[in-house]
Order: sequence, then C-alpha cells, then structure tokens
Amino acid sequence: MGYVKEERPTTISVEGTWNVGSYHYKGSRLLEEYVKGLKQKKLIGSFCPGCGKVIVPPRNLCGRCHRIMDRRKIVSNRGTITCFIVSPPMEKGKLRVLGMDPVETGLIKEGEVVIPVFVKFDGSDSNTDTILLNVDPKAVHIGMRVKVLWVKEPQGALSDFEGVEPV
Amino acid sequence: MKSKSEIVEVKALPFAAGFNWSTGFQMQRFIKELANRKILGAKCPECGYTYVPPRSRCGKCYTKIGEENLINLSGKGTLVGYTTAYVELDGQGNFQDLEEPGIIGAIKLENADSTIFMPLEGIKPRDVTEGLKVEVQWREETKGELADIRCFKPA
Amino acid sequence: MRRNVAIIGCGQTKHSSKRRDVNVAEMVSEAVYNALEDAQVSLREVDAFVVGNMQGFGGIAQPEQWLGDWIGAAGKSVIRIATGGTTGGSVGQGAYYTVASGLHDVAVAVAWEKHSDSKEAGATTGLLHVALGNVFHAFSYGLSLKNLVATSAVGAAAGVAVYQAVFYMHRSGCSIEHFDMVAAKARRNAARNKYAHLQWPGCTPEDIARTEMVAYPFRYGHICPASDGASAIVVAEENLARKKARQPAWFKGLAAYSDEENQLQSENFGGVGVLDPSEQKGCWMSATKAYKMAGIKDPKKEIDVAEVYQPFPSQELIFAERLGLFDEGTAWMALEKGETDIDGRMPLDPSGGVNATNAIGSTALQRILECALQIMGKAEEHQVPRKVSNAVAHGWGGVTNYITVTVLGDSPGR
Repeated sequence: MGYVKEERPTTISVEGTWNVGSYHYKGSRLLEEYVKGLKQKKLIGSFCPGCGKVIVPPRNLCGRCHRIMDRRKIVSNRGTITCFIVSPPMEKGKLRVLGMDPVETGLIKEGEVVIPVFVKFDGSDSNTDTILLNVDPKAVHIGMRVKVLWVKEPQGALSDFEGVEPV
Repeated sequence: MKSKSEIVEVKALPFAAGFNWSTGFQMQRFIKELANRKILGAKCPECGYTYVPPRSRCGKCYTKIGEENLINLSGKGTLVGYTTAYVELDGQGNFQDLEEPGIIGAIKLENADSTIFMPLEGIKPRDVTEGLKVEVQWREETKGELADIRCFKPA
Repeated sequence: MRRNVAIIGCGQTKHSSKRRDVNVAEMVSEAVYNALEDAQVSLREVDAFVVGNMQGFGGIAQPEQWLGDWIGAAGKSVIRIATGGTTGGSVGQGAYYTVASGLHDVAVAVAWEKHSDSKEAGATTGLLHVALGNVFHAFSYGLSLKNLVATSAVGAAAGVAVYQAVFYMHRSGCSIEHFDMVAAKARRNAARNKYAHLQWPGCTPEDIARTEMVAYPFRYGHICPASDGASAIVVAEENLARKKARQPAWFKGLAAYSDEENQLQSENFGGVGVLDPSEQKGCWMSATKAYKMAGIKDPKKEIDVAEVYQPFPSQELIFAERLGLFDEGTAWMALEKGETDIDGRMPLDPSGGVNATNAIGSTALQRILECALQIMGKAEEHQVPRKVSNAVAHGWGGVTNYITVTVLGDSPGR
C-alpha cells in the first residue's frame, strides 16, 4: 500500500546562508593535560572528590554532584565496549557531513564499515567516544574487551589516539 | 603557577549552512511583478491599512488579505525619515570608510501606509529633508528579483 | 496561590515534508487561528502568547520578534522558549505558568518548525549547529577529521538515539522485530490522524522490515520524518474554562528535570559521565514529581493513555517504562501482546507520535495537545475507545537529556 502522498503548490524561495565557519569560539585549556598524557601513551581523567567518579577525557564539573573535579587519575589503556553502532558499507554520494562527502574526500574508503563505539576504560566511570578498528563487524558485542590503538609516533594531539582494537 | 591565559581561541571549519525560505503567495506575486516594473501593495479589506511589500494577514485587525486585495502603487512617495551612513562592515569585522556617505531613507509610497527602507541617491546629505518627494529607480534589466528596485531619487 | 488551569482548544496544521505554499508566519498563524476557533475564543480575550521553535533548523534567529503581528500578539506579552526537542513541552508548561500564576487569564501556546527551509536534507543543519561549537574546540588539539566524520556521519544519519537503543536491547532482551512493530503501529495510527505526516494505513511490521538498514539496529522505516508544521493550544483559568468548553483538559501535574548530557562529549570534549544513555534519570524524576502533584499513586492503573515522545521506536519502550507504565524491561512484552495498541490496555501514542510526525519545535507540544484531545473527546478517528480520565504527555530533547512530563485530567483534582 505505501504512504499516503500529498500534493501542494509551491511558491518561490528567497535564499540565505549562515556562515557557521565565521565564528571564533573560545575554549579552555582543559584538554592540554589530556593531550600531554596521550604523548606518553597514558589516558588521564578527572576525579570527583564527592562521588569518586573518574571522567575520561577530563572535565571541570561533576555532572551529578556538581563539585569541581580538580584531581587527576590515570586509567588503563584497556577497556570494555559499552555501546556500538555498525554502519552499512560506506558508499560515495550517500552521506554529506559538514558539506563534505566522506568517501569522495578520501577520509573513508569505499565499502569500509565504520563502527563508532563507547568504551569504558578500566578505572574510568565514563564513556569515551571513539571508533573500533581491525575487527570483523559481526564479532562486535557489548562487553567486548578492547585496547587503545596508538599511532606510531604520538605528537601530543587527539589524533594520537587512533581508535581501539580488540585485545 | 599559571602563566598562560586559560582561554584558547578556536577556529571553526569553513561550513556554511544554506537556507531557502519559501515566500508564500502574496510575496511571490510582489517579487514576480517587479519584472514588469510594478510595485504591488496589499490593502486590508476590513480596516484599509495598506502594506508594501504585501502580506496575507493584516497586522492591525488580523483579517486575511487575499490576492484580490493587491493594488498597484505608483512608485512615487514621500520621505518620512532618513539617516546617513559613513562606514560599512566588510563581513570580517573590519570597518571601511565610505568614499561618499550613503543615505538610507524611510519612504512612504503613495496610497500605502507602511514604510520601506531604501537607499537614496542623487542628493547630498545636507539637502535631505523630511517630506522630500522621491520616486523609484529600477535596475537596467528587471528579472523578477528583490534587487530590481535599485534605489530611490528625488522626483 | 496556584489556580486551576485547563486547555480549552487545540489547533494544528497538516504536517508534510514541504510546506512551500506558505512562509513561516502564515504556517504558524494557521495553527493559532485554528486553535482560537476550536476554543471559541476571540483574540480580544487572549492576554499572552508563549511561542517556541528551534531556530537553527529554520535559519531564522528570534522569529517571534516579527511573527508577533501575524498571530495577534500586538499589545500582549510574548515569551519564546527553546529547549531542544522539549521546546513544545516547555512552551505548553510555560503557558500553564503564565495563567496559573494569576498574571494572565488566557494564554495561547504555539510551537512550530519549518525544516524545508534548510537546504541540507532533513534536520541535518540544525543538529550540526548544536554539536559543532564543542567539536571545533577539539580541532585545536589535533582531533583527527576521520574520527570526527566517522562518528558524526554514522551517528547523525541514524540519530542520537542509536546508542540508547543498543543499551536497551542488551539490558531488556528486546529485538529489532519489536522496533518494526512499534514503527508499523505508529504509521497505522497516523493514518487515522488527519494532521499527521507519515500515514500508512494497514502498515505491517513486515513492510518495515523490508526497508534498508541505516545503522544497526535502525532501518529507514524506523526513523522519524522531518516535517513542516505548527501546533497551538489555548489555555484558560478555571472560570473561563468551565464556561467555554464542555470538557476542558485540566493540568494536574507537571515537571521538567534534565540530566547531565549523556552522549556528545561536549564541555570541552570531556568524557560522558553517564554510562547508560537509556537510563534517562531525568524522566523518572519528572514522572515521580508530576504524578505526585497530580495525586496519581499507581500510574499503571490510573493512566488511560500516554503520548510518549518517540522519534525512534526504541524510545517508546524505554520511556514508557520510565514513566511508570510498565515494569523495568517488560514494555516489549506488552507490545507483543497488543497492550499498547489504540484499543489495548495501555494505549501509547494513538496519534502516531513523533515517529510519524516530526516538526521538532512543535512535537512535544503535540503530545500535550493530543492528550487534551483524548480527554475532550475530540480526537475523531484516533480517539481511544474508553473514558479518558488521566493522560500523560512526555517530551525529550536536549542532548538526550532534557525531559518534560505533563499529566492532564478530566477534572482539576483540587
């Protein structure tokens, strides 16, 4: 049967643009410690003195008890997958993000399956958003053990943390 | 000891979100008739208030205004207010001094009640007064776009 | 001293994927004048307007400032509220506060969205503008573009609710077939609602299961549309309400609690402090408070119909449990038994819900509006076949963390 279709007349349009790229944002230096830790292949998180939660990467304020998280702890490079999405094989022309086609611009290969995951590293109480690499998509499950995949020469940037892979 | 500032400046990706806003029937007629060098206004059937550009609902008594209430305006009008601009912005936050000061006038067209704001040319700022009679200047080639009305000049 | 307040009239526009025949002001005023007619109230009797939409989607900042004299607000108070997906819920609650406080006697709440004004497909522009400010900050620390595109491309395509759905499936044992069932029910119910967008009479779970998988576990058939539309309600204090409406829909309990943001790693790209995005603590806190205010002790028995905010089918199940309508992890079993159909024991979203009609600003207000229609007996073809004494309307939004819960009833209860 299918969806009930509706026809309506159209009127002309007036165009405009909102140049999101022209904004200059201000951020804090909170990530500076984190990326210095990445250079040494360590994951640094912030520790809440109230509820004892460790958040990776670090944050200023604990979301539940609203205390300032000014202490730091190091968490393990190994963790567990708490959530995952498996994309279908990526094709050219299917998706546009930030005005770019990810396959056309070479960021993702044609036919590649992308698996964004949430990982809870041992010692941390937060989910870290990253991608899962070097794995058969059918084997991914909640509770899977993974470890960080570092780049060969960490530079002290977020890209040092390439993703995670199965242990 | 913190010697650096706690603030770091962030540049965004060059991403521009595009929009195309539909105009509705009254405004569509107005824009299309500009190609024929005609300016349309909408006269409320209840209270008689005339809007230019036209709209489909009166802002005074909230009665619906339809296509049958569109009237032709002559393009001549009176200046009810004005200001003079001496600088403009270049879109990057920089001020640019204008060679010739630009005059923007609030113009009440004949038979209309609402005012439109348009540039005024052909007159020096010190000669401008309220009550000045002005008329519309069209673009060389009118295409049915808002830019077809180029500016106003003293009549 | 808090007064009793009721909804006396509702108005909507037909929601469709492209309303190119009107501009924004015309679309919004359609809903407002429909509501005024339904309530038999003239503009002279209205004191205040509460309006709302998500401005990033339509690309018009502060639209209420020029819409005012199209909807009759000249000479009256106007406030705009924007809280993400819960905008409509906050707008409805805002109208309640305006009248319950004694400041005004009659208020009109209107919320809308015009997605077709954006050049990007669906709701992409708006979603990106919510996320981007935080993400750009990470570029100065060397965030890899591939990582960003991979997580946001797949995430944005399927919507932020995918993580919630996977958690729920793991925790409760439900499967993709249940999502097919919910989506089919939504489209069948929407076919009985003349204002809904995706209407598919006789839609079956097999029809949905035939559509392509976007990102496990969501298929194209599960995902909500991006609609253009507006909805409005007229809210009045007790004396006027009793005079104007045969059966007003009374506000009995409201609450709006939010949780910390639980998916996006915003606040300077910090970690996400909530381990389970389907936990939705804000929802059970809001539901507890709203039921207490309404004097409802056992929602499973006392609630007759619920309008749950479910752009994705998994959310109908997750939130119905959080609203206290089913025991933890059992909503999918009730779905299998047909308890959530229009003629079931606990009808969920008889209007088709957000899964079938999604004009983001107006959706949460539509949940309140649909509950009011059910109580007033004006829901026409999608009226549930039983006496509706208590109904609960729910809204969800923000970065998966804002909630509004409103309980409506057929008597003020105080």
